Amino acid sequence: MEVLVLFVMVIGLMLIGVPIAVALGTSSILFLLVLGDTSLASIAQTLFQAMAGHYTLLAIPFFVLASSFMSTGGVAKRIIRFSIALVGHLPGGLAIAGVFACMMFAALSGSSPATVVAIGSIVIVGMREVGYTKDFAAGVIAVAGTLGILIPPSIVMVVYASATDVSVGRMFLAGVIPGLLAGFMLMLTIYVMARVKNLPKGDWKGWGEVRRSGIEAGWGLFLIVIILGGIYGGIFTPTEAAAVAAVYAFIISTMVYRDMGPLHVKGEGNNLALWEKPAALLTVFFHRDTRKTLFEAGKLTVTLMFIIANALILKHVLTDEQIPQQISAAMLNAGFGPVMFLVIVNVILLIGGQFMEPSGLLVIVAPLVFPIAIELGIDPIHLGIIMVVNMEIGMITPPVGLNLFVTSGVANMPMMNVVRAALPFLAVLFVFLIMVTYIPIISTWLPTLMMGPEIIVK
Amino acid sequence: MAHAYQAKTALGRIVNEIEETAIALLLGLMTLLTFVNVVLRYGFNTGLIWGLEAVTFLFAWLVLFGVSYTVKVTAQLGVDAVINLFSPPVRRILALVAGAVCILYATFVMKGAWDYWAPFAGLDATSGRWFPTGFAETRDQAWYEVVDMPFPEWLRWIEPIMNEGETYRKLPRFIPYAILPFGMALLLFRFVQAFVRVWTGEATSLIVSHEAEDDIKDVQHLNAEK
Repeated sequence: MEVLVLFVMVIGLMLIGVPIAVALGTSSILFLLVLGDTSLASIAQTLFQAMAGHYTLLAIPFFVLASSFMSTGGVAKRIIRFSIALVGHLPGGLAIAGVFACMMFAALSGSSPATVVAIGSIVIVGMREVGYTKDFAAGVIAVAGTLGILIPPSIVMVVYASATDVSVGRMFLAGVIPGLLAGFMLMLTIYVMARVKNLPKGDWKGWGEVRRSGIEAGWGLFLIVIILGGIYGGIFTPTEAAAVAAVYAFIISTMVYRDMGPLHVKGEGNNLALWEKPAALLTVFFHRDTRKTLFEAGKLTVTLMFIIANALILKHVLTDEQIPQQISAAMLNAGFGPVMFLVIVNVILLIGGQFMEPSGLLVIVAPLVFPIAIELGIDPIHLGIIMVVNMEIGMITPPVGLNLFVTSGVANMPMMNVVRAALPFLAVLFVFLIMVTYIPIISTWLPTLMMGPEIIVK
Repeated sequence: MAHAYQAKTALGRIVNEIEETAIALLLGLMTLLTFVNVVLRYGFNTGLIWGLEAVTFLFAWLVLFGVSYTVKVTAQLGVDAVINLFSPPVRRILALVAGAVCILYATFVMKGAWDYWAPFAGLDATSGRWFPTGFAETRDQAWYEVVDMPFPEWLRWIEPIMNEGETYRKLPRFIPYAILPFGMALLLFRFVQAFVRVWTGEATSLIVSHEAEDDIKDVQHLNAEK
């Protein structure tokens, strides 16, 4: 009963415009002060330990930083060029290339809105120029952009792994096949639509263009190899992999792409080569652009981590009050099996995912449903992927899906048009969700293959 | 809606510069330290034992210091779908209520932060459960040290003041933990400012709905109706 009050308070505060972090924190603090015997000092300690005591969460700032360097460093337009070279000549080619570009960008960045902004801003314009309607273009990008949290590396997966003590490496691997599958399903849908509606197709520019653009984009895409290869080769921990990726992204964006930093020439001129300005090796560390990127990534890390830290206070309340155990007992008594349970999880996350930043939502929901899932014999990795896919869909479900807002901003068109345009693709993702939910092997096959069967501790 | 932050006075600009540089510097240090440790391990078969602990403290510093800045520039994430349905006067009242909640929150964590940190610094924690009602005699815990980080030689002069002349072998806890009361005091201050901004009509809300709002502004013109 008290718990219900707690959740109503969290949601109520959020809806009147209290920042998510404060809504979570205030409700939990009031709850603890009124009902528990916890002191404010121990709450402050929880806040501090959210950063100082969670080694896994430490990967988040580094992933955010790597993706900031990559997006400022102009990797988006190179990925798009590569995608167009590869699939642009198919019917509906530019739209398919847009999805493909979103998939690749998702592999460099862990955030969906960031993917929409980076790819959408360029691709939507391009699609309109060759004769697509703006609505169609926006619909494609809004939906494809959600792949950002499913294709590794993903901040949301890091949060899930930290909240439930599963391995980050496994989660990342588990996201690979579902991510490719979702992207493929979207592309196939576009292909069929293009055949039916006779949508424009581009010209095949030959293998030379594929190779040239591939090498250009490859510098950026090698980041994924560092992260995944480093983790699975046993070279780095995920946190170290993220830090190495950040340093790599820094070098690529300032020394190879040179769209930022001391070697960048504003305007039309060619960027300088390193031998023309060797001093750049030193000045790059203090360059205005470097500072700006570090700062932007820092700012985003702060807002995300402050939500997560406050969600950890709420988690503290839930564990103290043994809420997960109560819910799980109630559900088992009511005779709910795994199928019904997963449906309930789906519904909760679809609704929650509309309102809330995905990582904050996960910190709260994961500890609630995780023990029940283990009790019911659901694989923790599988559960994680289900949760991520659910939040993806939450982001594009009307009325308040986050990605819909972002797309309507990027494409400069009313929300309702984006909603309508996204509907067919939303339907595809729903089919995908059902597949992922009830065919566990899609998520668990690759991690089991690469890392052996996992040990589940009850 | 987000608007680019503009400092109004020379002091405001200086403070803004300090805040932004500190955020950039903390994140940069975290990354470098982690990277250097990887290089040391593979290249030289050695490592900085205190590296990991230092990085986690820098992380805590980054977030606890940075959070007041995000309040200043209205970068805290929130849900604006519902408040946008109301008329401006109602919205203003809701924003004031939300601001008051934020101030209440910051007061709680400020008291908590002080109570947690003070004993480590040999000071008294406050009494009272909800709000500080005074100071309560607290056992001096200034001798508590962190796990790995060594004590820097140039700080030896604090030993007589803090630790009754005893030698610190590791960094005393009150140094890294000091960010708690400092950051939370700044947070309280920024929330009060935010409340005042809503009160005077200078701002309409305390939140943005997603992290990419500024970036959208930059690209929106690309798709403007011609």
